[in-house]
Amino acid sequence: MPLDTSTYNLALLRVDGRRWNELRRINAQIRTQAAADGSSYLEMGHTKVMCVVTGPSEPGPRRGGVVGSAGGAGGGGGQSKDAEVVVNIVIAGFSSVDRKRRGRGDKRTLEMQSTVANALAASLHIHLFPHSQINVSLHVLSQDGSLLAALINAATLACVDAGIPMTDYVAACTAGSTSTYAANDESADPLLDMNHQEEQELPGLTVATMGDSDRVVALVCESRVQISRLEGMLVVGVDGCKQVREILDRVVREKGRRMIDEGTVEKGTGLNDMDVD
Amino acid sequence: MPITIHQPKPPRPLLSDLDPYNPLNVHDSDSDSSTGGGVDLSLPPKKPTSSLSHSGIVTPGEVITSDSQWMRGHGTYIPASTSDITSSLAGTITRTNKLISVRPLRARYTPEVGDLVVGRIVEVQAKRWRVDVGSTQLAALPLSAINLPGGILRKRTETDELQIRTFFAEGDLLVAEVQQLFQDGGAVLHTRSLKYGKLRNGVFVAVSGMGGGAGVVRSRRQVWTMDAANGAGQVDVILGVNGYVWISKHVETPAEVEGKPAPAGITNMEENVSATMYSSQNDRIETETMREIARLRGVITALVENGLRVDEEMVVRGYHEAVEMAMLSGEGQDDVYLGGERGEQLAAALTGK
Repeated sequence: MPLDTSTYNLALLRVDGRRWNELRRINAQIRTQAAADGSSYLEMGHTKVMCVVTGPSEPGPRRGGVVGSAGGAGGGGGQSKDAEVVVNIVIAGFSSVDRKRRGRGDKRTLEMQSTVANALAASLHIHLFPHSQINVSLHVLSQDGSLLAALINAATLACVDAGIPMTDYVAACTAGSTSTYAANDESADPLLDMNHQEEQELPGLTVATMGDSDRVVALVCESRVQISRLEGMLVVGVDGCKQVREILDRVVREKGRRMIDEGTVEKGTGLNDMDVD
Repeated sequence: MPITIHQPKPPRPLLSDLDPYNPLNVHDSDSDSSTGGGVDLSLPPKKPTSSLSHSGIVTPGEVITSDSQWMRGHGTYIPASTSDITSSLAGTITRTNKLISVRPLRARYTPEVGDLVVGRIVEVQAKRWRVDVGSTQLAALPLSAINLPGGILRKRTETDELQIRTFFAEGDLLVAEVQQLFQDGGAVLHTRSLKYGKLRNGVFVAVSGMGGGAGVVRSRRQVWTMDAANGAGQVDVILGVNGYVWISKHVETPAEVEGKPAPAGITNMEENVSATMYSSQNDRIETETMREIARLRGVITALVENGLRVDEEMVVRGYHEAVEMAMLSGEGQDDVYLGGERGEQLAAALTGK
């Protein structure tokens, strides 16, 4: 076996030194591009993603049905009653170890586009923007596992920055299991937030939830997992999503507080002013 | 082998070391306390706190109040099967009597009746134009809502419909007022005043409109004429509420030339609705005026970059400051660059820091 995650049983430490329930470091910024309606930059470990949101705006001229297949969700755009969420993902050639060129029609990218679009559409209040389109453009700068989760988190932050009303943050993370599908190991621990090496070797899933609730808005599992382990993985994943939500929330609050301090935003009404007249 | 599973260490604080909102900060010291490898997955129970206790911001999903005496306004929603007013935006709370709404930190422009907007024609249809005003939808400008040239205030005719492109064509800029709103948020504009109409002799700047952070704020005066420095004559500035700005050379109307104040009533309108109204040809603009227009543009972008609000007071003060900064610099008055450090310097001078 080229990779070695089998030492886990000795020290209960994963290849990168984390314990089973630890997230990698998440670092995020919002309002990274002044010209965009909303923008964000997010790092989950070494997975680095940039996001720009344009809209809601009038949909531009359609180019021969290509746009329709590019991960649209929620309403048909155009004359429909809901806004359409269109996600476009670009994976940079230098983002992973092996330099692989992915074309526009890459099936994996297309699937990620529609997953992100559907997850966002579940939370965004698209009914408030009829006949319009929300364009989410994601750029992957570096990949080290949990790519889909990072994309969803970055897109959420950018939508918050764009001031698009939403039910709650959509926070995502991955969960795995310490032993492979073949190993009949009943005591396998679930793992939170897998990196690339673990993703190569171990079964895993990506889960996204709506804020603090346990409502799952996206669940993607692309590997074989023993059914008995699935529940544990899901529990760990959903719990990780809540941690991720806290981190995203902190980024937004920090930005908001700084804007208030600088006087660019007027202060809100406090509780004491809220007394009934 | 007894193994202790420690609490996960909180990630390195992102932006500042002390963060009162950080629930993990409370949790810092007890890394050894959970013994026996207990599976402690849960974070400290985060009760969605009533954010009314501080004047900071609310974020999506945060419960503002569960008191049923309040009414929910923009930027809030009530989740199914509860009565909690919950925020759907990141922003500050505003209250109007019993109505609670959340003003976003930044958002696209939402039109309101009476707003002065600068827009660009993107589409010409049979009886109306479609205008980009930076909103979620294109605004409509019906042919019946513009001043038709040719003397008296008259009804539009079929000839006008056929010649619709002679008034406004694609790409033309105009200043208009929001006349009415559709149910879905779309706006209808009108230019039935001498203040409004096609724009020329100037430069267009788009800044993020609305909402917090840098941007144009609704104020008493959105349009003014100011004296430019260095013998450049007068310059008009139009701050569209939608964040589109127009800076142009001031051209005197015929009435002003004669020394009379501009007539106010619509009865005098016919004298002024001249053929030049829909002209796309610029007048002659002196180099000095162009330079001062460029300087004003630099001031506005510097204000935006440094997160200051754009209104008449700030622009005028910023402009005078910029003129002085240029005088002190090596190149003299030709130095109109206000980006980077110089923009910060300007912003610091304006905020008095």
